[in-house]
Amino acid sequence: MNAETEHGNNSNNKDNNTVEQGNGVSRQEDLYPLALLMDELKHDDVANRVEAMKKLDIIAIALGPERTRDELIPFLTEVAQDDEDEVFAVLADELGKFVPYVGGSKFATILLPALEILASTEETLVRDKAVDSLNVVAQDLSDDQILNEFIPLVEHLATADWFSSKVSSCGLFKAVIVRVKDNTLRNNLLALYLQLVQDDTPMVRRAAAKHLSGLIDLFTENTNLATVEDWEYISTMFQKISTDNQDSVKFLAIDCLISILKYFNIKKDTTHFKDLLESAIKLITDEAWRVRYMAADKYSALATQFVVDQSYINELLPPFLSLCEDNECDVRKAIAEQVPAFATLLKDSPNIISTKIIPAVQNLSIDENETVRASLALKITNLVSIMTKEQAIEHLLPILLNMLKDEFPEVRLNIIANLKAVNEVIGIEMLSDSLLPAITELANDVNWRVRLAIIEYIPVLAEHLGVQFFNQQLSDFCLSWLWDTVFSIRQAAVNNLTKLTKIFGPEWCRDEIISRLLKFDSQLLENFIYRFTLLSALTALVPVISLDAVTDQVLPFVKHLADDAVPNIRFNAAKSYTVIVEALVTKDKQTYLSLIQDTILPSLQKLIKDDDIDVKYFAQQSLNKCNELLK
Amino acid sequence: MDMDMDMDMDVPMHDAMSEQLIPTINEDSNNSDNENNDNTNNTINSNGNNNDNNNNNNNNNNNNNNITNNGGNGGDNENDYQEIDFKPGSSGIADNKSNKPLELNPSNINQLDAWIEKLSKCEILSEDDVSRLCRMAVDVLQFEDNVQPVNVPVTICGDIHGQFHDLMELFKIGGPCPDTNYLFMGDYVDRGYYSVETVSFLVAMKVRYPHRITILRGNHESRQITQVYGFYDECLRKYGSANVWKMFTDLFDYFPITALVDNKIFCLHGGLSPMIETIDQVRELNRIQEVPHEGPMCDLLWSDPDDRGGWGISPRGAGFTFGQDISEQFNHTNDLSLVARAHQLVMEGYAWSHQQNVVTIFSAPNYCYRCGNQAAIMEVDENNNRQFLQYDPSVRPGEPTVSRKTPDYFL
Repeated sequence: MNAETEHGNNSNNKDNNTVEQGNGVSRQEDLYPLALLMDELKHDDVANRVEAMKKLDIIAIALGPERTRDELIPFLTEVAQDDEDEVFAVLADELGKFVPYVGGSKFATILLPALEILASTEETLVRDKAVDSLNVVAQDLSDDQILNEFIPLVEHLATADWFSSKVSSCGLFKAVIVRVKDNTLRNNLLALYLQLVQDDTPMVRRAAAKHLSGLIDLFTENTNLATVEDWEYISTMFQKISTDNQDSVKFLAIDCLISILKYFNIKKDTTHFKDLLESAIKLITDEAWRVRYMAADKYSALATQFVVDQSYINELLPPFLSLCEDNECDVRKAIAEQVPAFATLLKDSPNIISTKIIPAVQNLSIDENETVRASLALKITNLVSIMTKEQAIEHLLPILLNMLKDEFPEVRLNIIANLKAVNEVIGIEMLSDSLLPAITELANDVNWRVRLAIIEYIPVLAEHLGVQFFNQQLSDFCLSWLWDTVFSIRQAAVNNLTKLTKIFGPEWCRDEIISRLLKFDSQLLENFIYRFTLLSALTALVPVISLDAVTDQVLPFVKHLADDAVPNIRFNAAKSYTVIVEALVTKDKQTYLSLIQDTILPSLQKLIKDDDIDVKYFAQQSLNKCNELLK
Repeated sequence: MDMDMDMDMDVPMHDAMSEQLIPTINEDSNNSDNENNDNTNNTINSNGNNNDNNNNNNNNNNNNNNITNNGGNGGDNENDYQEIDFKPGSSGIADNKSNKPLELNPSNINQLDAWIEKLSKCEILSEDDVSRLCRMAVDVLQFEDNVQPVNVPVTICGDIHGQFHDLMELFKIGGPCPDTNYLFMGDYVDRGYYSVETVSFLVAMKVRYPHRITILRGNHESRQITQVYGFYDECLRKYGSANVWKMFTDLFDYFPITALVDNKIFCLHGGLSPMIETIDQVRELNRIQEVPHEGPMCDLLWSDPDDRGGWGISPRGAGFTFGQDISEQFNHTNDLSLVARAHQLVMEGYAWSHQQNVVTIFSAPNYCYRCGNQAAIMEVDENNNRQFLQYDPSVRPGEPTVSRKTPDYFL
């Protein structure tokens, strides 16, 4: 592939050389892209320079690999030292795609000098893009290139004076660390990384800590590579990070710890677990709330790594309970979401669940902070999966019922959204007494987005509750939402009816919905908004109800509205005709052909001659589609 | 609930954020102290712009000069500006005006629908497309009346001020256009971050559905004000030149200045004028011009109702304040039930004044992203029943969907 492009380019180049004397025009055309780029790159306006940079790949293709190497790259290396950050960011991004344009991996190292400059700039955005591009380029490099060109670049950045270069270098180790098969060389790299972990500036330490877990994961993927010496370095780094005097470095130790545990679990080596558990507990009970927050946020991921020995899990219980009572509400919020996943690790000790976990849940469910309660509500219903029916009814149900009465709508919504699990274990009947008042209140919330959220859960609830319960308790709500003052609620109510019909069937829809809709208060329909809503509802139902209902109930109503005084209603009636004709034609064309020709088409013909331009337009559109369907 | 039925209260207006004309003028006169002033004017004039075919603007010479100065005060960059022409009409969007209203055909309908789809995602049109859109819009708007008749049902809205996502929220509350008819009472640009998207979207809707949406002119639809309050800078930032700003401000000259809903509700951006007693007098104005600094057209876009009776001097430096006696007389003379206007921030999104002779509607929630106000729109159904819908700022992705509880110490 590379050879081919090379070859193609060479011949191309020869052509250029020969043409040079004979045909000036072709030569000029060839120069044109580079000249244009250079012009644009010198434009006074940054926006133009940014746009020009984005087209860099096109220029490179036009120039071919050789001239890209000889002319474009040196020029860009110069540009990379003197422009605005916006331009640098695009350049850094573009260079990541450049390996094919310079003639393949053989020549890829020519890109490194420009990227190294960009990786040393002050602006984070530029540096991040340069680091990403360097990692991309590194994938194409041979082991020799890595050794002779890339690693020196990393070392150069890592030992620079200014922190920005060092920060960039932290993101580059992952490109090389597992490609170095020589143990001494890899040890040297880790020694260099250890220096970064202990750097004077917190920014560098933070970057080093952030990328360490990724490096460990690479060793996990290449299980047999790391030596004891390598692990001594990693262990020292972890110790340094987990005792850093900056919270913002220290909390990154949690991720490192999880990665370390993963490695030893894969190796089935549990000799260090006692120490690692100690480190974990130290971090979980750290003085700095940000560290505790990180521990809480990753609690089940961390605890899962200790499942080899149930006694480790038991040791993680007291610190878990203390996080549930943490002074910082953000910590409690994070741990509240982890409760069911952590409790699952204790499922063989039902006693602990009922005496330790449930009381903690109970406290979180009445936490003074509503975001803590909402966070608990997100997952808490999953607890039933590790309980017997009796336990669930005795311990969990009272908490759920109470949360359904929470003053904060999101708590109620989250519980309702996740009732499926509860339904499977204890059945929804146990909940229904509290469920209905909760739904009623949400259905009437002043915030329309709360109303919208509960409408969207209705089909799920309907499936669990069954048709009888639904007809008795919920169908009135579903109809009342059609008359909401907010359009989005009316629209959601319309969609809801379609979803319910798919669950309960066309007959239910005819008897419980359509007949009730058509009997609606005529006074209400004096307002065009409600005629519009009714029209939308009936039209949306057409595809899911029986054709008899369409022709006997829906069509007469639509036909009536085709003569409405308000043009918006008339053109929506015209649109409805298309939906009706489509349903009739696709399901039973023969039976309904005459009805369409005698009733619908004449009505549309009439609307085409309407005074209002929009009615004419939509009627014509509808008529065209109907004729298309009838073909 | 969203519907608010207490109609007897006269709520005081919160006027802290209302802009003034005077600082604008001051800012311009500061610029005229600039040493380049004469120089720049000469440059512009020598470009031959005085031959411009748009002669409506004779009374605006002052204004034009100010604008010229504003553009040319860049000192070292003066050469860059030499080619830029800030004179009304210089965008050329009205050079080939048709003598009959724009007729929609399948190809321009497709074009408009594609633009509307793009704009509704808050993506700007290309400069060429804005030019095409504005040329089409001139051929729609030039045939509208100074007092544009509007049928019921219609939903009446106030200031938007570049808060594009809140405009989309408005359509979620009131229903999408063209299914719902809309009347906007001006101030689409300035202050918010998305003036270009907002005004492009509304103009595209206007051209596509001229009978379903009416867009009036506000005091911010002006060359002078937009240079101070953000639209000019936003155009420069998003397009790299003032061309799009020139096109839109040239188009603003064609926007109707008032509307009459079912002969009963008189809608306009600002308020009444001591020089206007009857609606017919509005019909006689020549509106195709930059908003003047004084006179009836200026007043209609700048005035405010006031608790004090009679006419008063407006603290804004343009327009007047008018009392309940004035509103009552105006509604009586013209057989109106109501004057609906925008122009002032009101915390509830709408506010009655002058014992329900005047209503203020403001449709930019959390105005300037910090005022904490609700927004509102007024639905008028086919039987002239009115209903106000209030709403809060749009919820952007990633933000919680449920409203925050007021901390206890506020209660």
